[in-house]
Amino acid sequence: MILLQLAADGLLLGAVYALFSSGLTLIWGMMNVINFAHGDFVMLAMYVAFFAATLLKLGPAIFVPLAAVLMFGFGVMVYLALVRHVMRGPMLAQIISTFGLALFLRYSALWAFSANFVSLPDRLAGGVYDLGGIRLAASHLLAGATALLLTLGLHLLLTRTDLGSRMLAVSEDRVAAALVGIRADPMQAFAWGLGGAATGVAGGLIALFFYVSPEVGNSFTLLAFVTVCLGGFGSIPGALLAGLAIGVIQSFSAYWFGPSSKDVVVFALFVALLWVRPQGLLGRA
Amino acid sequence: MTRPARAALLVGAVLLVIAPVLAGNAFYQRIAALVVLAAISASAWNVIGGYAGQVSFGHAVYFGIGAYASLLAFTKLGLPPIAGAPLGILASFVLSVIMGLPTFRLRGHYFSMATIAIAELVELLVTNWRFAGGAIGLMGPATPRSVADLLFRSALPYYGLFLVVLAILLALTWWMERSRMGFYLRALGSGERAAESLGVPIRRYKLYALLISGAFTSVAGSLYAVMIGFVDPSSGFGILVSVNMVVMAALGGAGTLFGPLVGAIILVPLAEMTNAFLGGGGAGAAYVAYGVIIMLMARYSPGGLAQWAREIRALVSGRRRRAA
Amino acid sequence: MLLEAKGIIKAFGSFHAVDGADFGLEEHELVGLIGPNGAGKSTFFNCIAGDTVPTAGTIRFRGIDVTRLAPDRHARLGLARTFQVPIVFEGMTVGENVMVGAFLRHPQARRAVEKAAEMLEFTGLAAQARMPGTALGTAGRKRLGIARALATEPNLLLLDEALAGLTSGEMEAAIELLTRIHARGITLIVVEHIMEVIHRLAERVLVFHQGRVIAQGTPAEVTADEAVIEAYLGRRARGRRG
Repeated sequence: MILLQLAADGLLLGAVYALFSSGLTLIWGMMNVINFAHGDFVMLAMYVAFFAATLLKLGPAIFVPLAAVLMFGFGVMVYLALVRHVMRGPMLAQIISTFGLALFLRYSALWAFSANFVSLPDRLAGGVYDLGGIRLAASHLLAGATALLLTLGLHLLLTRTDLGSRMLAVSEDRVAAALVGIRADPMQAFAWGLGGAATGVAGGLIALFFYVSPEVGNSFTLLAFVTVCLGGFGSIPGALLAGLAIGVIQSFSAYWFGPSSKDVVVFALFVALLWVRPQGLLGRA
Repeated sequence: MTRPARAALLVGAVLLVIAPVLAGNAFYQRIAALVVLAAISASAWNVIGGYAGQVSFGHAVYFGIGAYASLLAFTKLGLPPIAGAPLGILASFVLSVIMGLPTFRLRGHYFSMATIAIAELVELLVTNWRFAGGAIGLMGPATPRSVADLLFRSALPYYGLFLVVLAILLALTWWMERSRMGFYLRALGSGERAAESLGVPIRRYKLYALLISGAFTSVAGSLYAVMIGFVDPSSGFGILVSVNMVVMAALGGAGTLFGPLVGAIILVPLAEMTNAFLGGGGAGAAYVAYGVIIMLMARYSPGGLAQWAREIRALVSGRRRRAA
Repeated sequence: MLLEAKGIIKAFGSFHAVDGADFGLEEHELVGLIGPNGAGKSTFFNCIAGDTVPTAGTIRFRGIDVTRLAPDRHARLGLARTFQVPIVFEGMTVGENVMVGAFLRHPQARRAVEKAAEMLEFTGLAAQARMPGTALGTAGRKRLGIARALATEPNLLLLDEALAGLTSGEMEAAIELLTRIHARGITLIVVEHIMEVIHRLAERVLVFHQGRVIAQGTPAEVTADEAVIEAYLGRRARGRRG
């Protein structure tokens, strides 16, 4: 019974991991750029949720989409102002650019909000349900279900829509795409926007049951990277499976080894991946 | 190098050496020592991050290894802290092999991410390792038992010691720049596929660079432990230690000989003075600034100030030629 | 035989980019590799160069099995290549770029400088030695790629569309350079789309189509071959040739 409980909790959280990792894999798939600030995007979204809930007394039905919209805009802005230019430059510039962004976001947040953990008001999203002996908090259910739906939606957007085809064309061969009239710039900007929106939703959802602090960006970035690594760079279904898997692994490890093992587990997984299978389960190398 | 450039370099070198002596002020002497110490780490990072183009965001792991090796040698074996430095170097070699082998056959991003992960993992492990003092850390000798303890009341002897180490590192780097290794590293850093087709054994040379870089960073850590007399998981392995190295090297010019030193000369005094003015909260402000600096550099001048200087010189000489 | 490739298959999933290609090369030959786009010649080329590992088949260079060796080992054994899109080492001058190649046989910097200077002279880049590598135009960069590869003192040089994107004047100079390289005793494999170059330079031509070698012979023989014409122009064009 306890196993099912742990698995359920893990899957729900894992779905949220999958969502923001999908954002990262999308950006990577489009343009071979690792966004070292991805976790800090999630952190920003969490603060948006926090302030929306505490200052404006808004509920998740409003602040989650709000965060999504804001982070979409933020993602596009980062692309236009920074990423677009460094893509043409040396590798050093590409790698340190988003790292610098991460630093900036993290320490600005630290300075503005101090290192204190804050959390959203309780019971924002209903109480606790009992499903055949498994206790599931409504907030967890909401988060997991929303994240799952949106991740699938993202996948469908890419594979079933015209817009998605255009994005995939750019990610496969920019020149060929240009030759058929698809301009890379707007597609890449949109990818960053989508990636941002994914972090926006994920952050808004996570804020329902995680502490909010400026430092969370670090673990989320690493988590997203490991998820994407495991699931295959550029593959959203892969990110989904990997995210769910990591959520479950963390859930079990927290129960057996204590809550501080959650991070260690992610690290260990990453190191193992590096040695064994860096290309991941699905998706191209 | 041209005659005037060489002269300027000589004057600069002399000034660098005598500045704290002239200053005489204990505060400035301390800053000077810290500048040189930071320059050692940054110059060591430069070998793998600048020349070989493998950007490590977790070099603190080597720094921490050196610092902890020194203070463990003291607290557990009663040795003078500096005696722990060779142990630190050895440990750094082992880590370089463990980290390098799996990541060097992959793209640069993997290496960069791996360095972040490993540094954090080590910080986490050391925080929970009571043998190494856990979260509290380790302390060095309170009073000197012999000269070997290197416990000086003034910062000046440290400054001298650090300067010697920096000179050795820079001389080694200078020699490397001109040798096959230097060319191979720069080639693989800017065009790995082409370098390989010309016979460059990519993974081997990346590993060489990491071995050297890690070893010297470890030495810097040991020197830090000797001077400050204290280390804990965050001052040894923390991300900020890594960030400092990267920003200084990149600001001055990654892949240039004196870039990291220039970066250290600019940033260390700034950071210290910001700390003095704003107190605890000041530390955060410095890193906000670092983030902005990095983004601006990535966007406009990835080669740092060195690139900037080159472009200005080209502009000036271009104008002069046109006028002639 | 200098180079021997037998039964090379390179599969990407179920798609066979190279589907059973055999190739034998004697010393001092100058062989052309042609074929329509997607014919598999680039993949085949990369297999020989060591960039790609074939799914099946063996490649022997100077009697040594090089099928699975990394490109740097190929260079060490005497097999060098250029890239279709030239890769210039940024942050280095033209001369320094060539030195990277020279260091293979001359680990000492002084000797490497001499070798590089010799190659710069040979390829006509001596005047640009101190320029940043990135300051060269397309023709210069292709030339640089050749100079760099030559500096490794290869027995066999693989040229990947070395003449694409050149003006007719630049092309003349390039053809002249390749002739001189060949005269030096270096065996050449030239992948090209430009038929004029093939006619003027190649003694023997291999035509690739759908992963296989469909014709082999002198340039004249091959361009008259019906299978070749069909591959390039389609079935209906076949009857129109004399």
